[in-house]
Amino acid sequence: MGPFLETLIGGLMSGMLYSLVALGFVLIFKASGVFNFAQGAMVLFAALAMARFSEWLPALLGTESKVLGNVLAFIAAMALMIVVAWLIEHLVLGRLVNQEGITLLMATLGITYFLDGFGQTLFGSEIYKIDIGLPKDPMFLMEDVFQGGLLVNKEDLYAAGIAAALVIGLSAFFQYTSTGRALRAVADDHQAAQSIGIPLSRIWVIVWSVAGFVALVAGVIWGSKLGVQFSLSLVALKALPVVILGGLTSVPGAIIGGLIIGVGEKLSEVFIGPMFGGGIEIWFGYVLVLFVLLIRPQGLFGEKIIDRV
Amino acid sequence: MVEKAIGEVILDIKNISLRFGGVKALTDISFNVREHEVRAIIGPNGAGKSSMLNCINGVYAPQEGSITFRGKTFGHMNSRQVAEMGVARTFQNLALFKGMNVIDNLMSGRNLKMKTNIFQQALYWGAAQREETAHREFVEKIIDFLEIQAYRKTPVGRLPYGLQKRVDLGRALAMEPQVLLLDEPMAGMNVEEKQDMCRFVLDVNEEFGTTIVLIEHDMGVVMDISDRVVVLDYGKKIGDGTPDEVRANPDVISAYLGTSH
Repeated sequence: MGPFLETLIGGLMSGMLYSLVALGFVLIFKASGVFNFAQGAMVLFAALAMARFSEWLPALLGTESKVLGNVLAFIAAMALMIVVAWLIEHLVLGRLVNQEGITLLMATLGITYFLDGFGQTLFGSEIYKIDIGLPKDPMFLMEDVFQGGLLVNKEDLYAAGIAAALVIGLSAFFQYTSTGRALRAVADDHQAAQSIGIPLSRIWVIVWSVAGFVALVAGVIWGSKLGVQFSLSLVALKALPVVILGGLTSVPGAIIGGLIIGVGEKLSEVFIGPMFGGGIEIWFGYVLVLFVLLIRPQGLFGEKIIDRV
Repeated sequence: MVEKAIGEVILDIKNISLRFGGVKALTDISFNVREHEVRAIIGPNGAGKSSMLNCINGVYAPQEGSITFRGKTFGHMNSRQVAEMGVARTFQNLALFKGMNVIDNLMSGRNLKMKTNIFQQALYWGAAQREETAHREFVEKIIDFLEIQAYRKTPVGRLPYGLQKRVDLGRALAMEPQVLLLDEPMAGMNVEEKQDMCRFVLDVNEEFGTTIVLIEHDMGVVMDISDRVVVLDYGKKIGDGTPDEVRANPDVISAYLGTSH
């Protein structure tokens, strides 16, 4: 029972992080119908910015305080993501209004390559550290229930906590504020939203900024776990099955999808993996999604599209 | 009931022509709308009624002509700018925010009246919270007015068609518009729903003094509630006047009934 629970918890934690990246996809898809392939590149870009700003800014200001340095770096990186959102809207997507979905997808693919390259030109292409002071030591839970207790990584626990708080905060923002309402309005019907005076382009900048914020948080957490390097951009590939599984338009779907994939990956690796000689973690998500799609083509929580004939 | 005073010209449409490629949707249309009146646009299918409304609303940009609203002339404006000037609309094919409940749909109509910024809202504290409460009170008045109290929290996608039309009207009313454009507000309704909708439209006009421009197919309705009527056929204006004048107009009769050859 002990190893099973340990794997389960580990899966939930990494699932939470997949959810974060998936959330970025869903936010943008809901509000503008664009499947944003660049979400992974945004995670890398944001993480690079955070890593380098937390070196540069304290040096520039001559401050020793790590907390202050990290806070300033986070704010600066966020500001940068807002600028990126603004540029994407005004230079790319704003000019492609009413184009086919595939055109927009290709445009975000272009943005992916640009951000990957530009980020590394700007911030360098080494492996960088983000140290936001998450405790690295493991801890043991329920030692009196199981022999030896459950080994849980404290860092994972904090990360999952941050991710959960972010998801709850964003949901509340979307549900209860007037800007959140405007975002949902645009997601439902562009034309009607315009007719009641909602400015589309500003809403899109806000959506991309929020997606940038989510990318930044995801980037900081992954970066502090694994270091900031190019491979971070590839977390998008991990989040892809999550969004498909959860349904492209559902925020709860992204979260639950993330958890399912996270848990599924870890459990399958430990318990089924040996049968295949291991390494199934990498493709397990995709296979899982394949089966779900056979049964529910719209994903677990996606809107069922019913066409009137 | 006070006799309503029809005022000055509030909306003046001059020589509007609209083409889609080679198709002439509207040709040289001019008419005006006076403050506080109910102005109907009628015509057979494909006459260009919705195109006309979409020009006023800024969805289409006419190639020729001008639209003057309260003395300000504009050739090309987008829907949002028109909304800012105080023009609201409803849609022929419902365009509600289906995932949201009735209250949220109506609250979204208040969006232009909201002044707090996104950061205040993110904290949901102080000004943002007060603002939300104030607008909610206004929305409740609309809900009472339209008699949809029982459906406050229902996602609009689940409401029957007639009620969705009412929510659509409510969302437009939430903007406190000076001019309300209604695109076939009674299409697809049964007699009872039509009567309700007529009553709401007239009440809006009388109680709030809102100027109303409406497109409608039901001749009985149009002749009953309109002060003046414009008749379009094949993108051209063929009649303009009070319901009685229009009814007597031979061009209008032939457009609707066909001529004997």
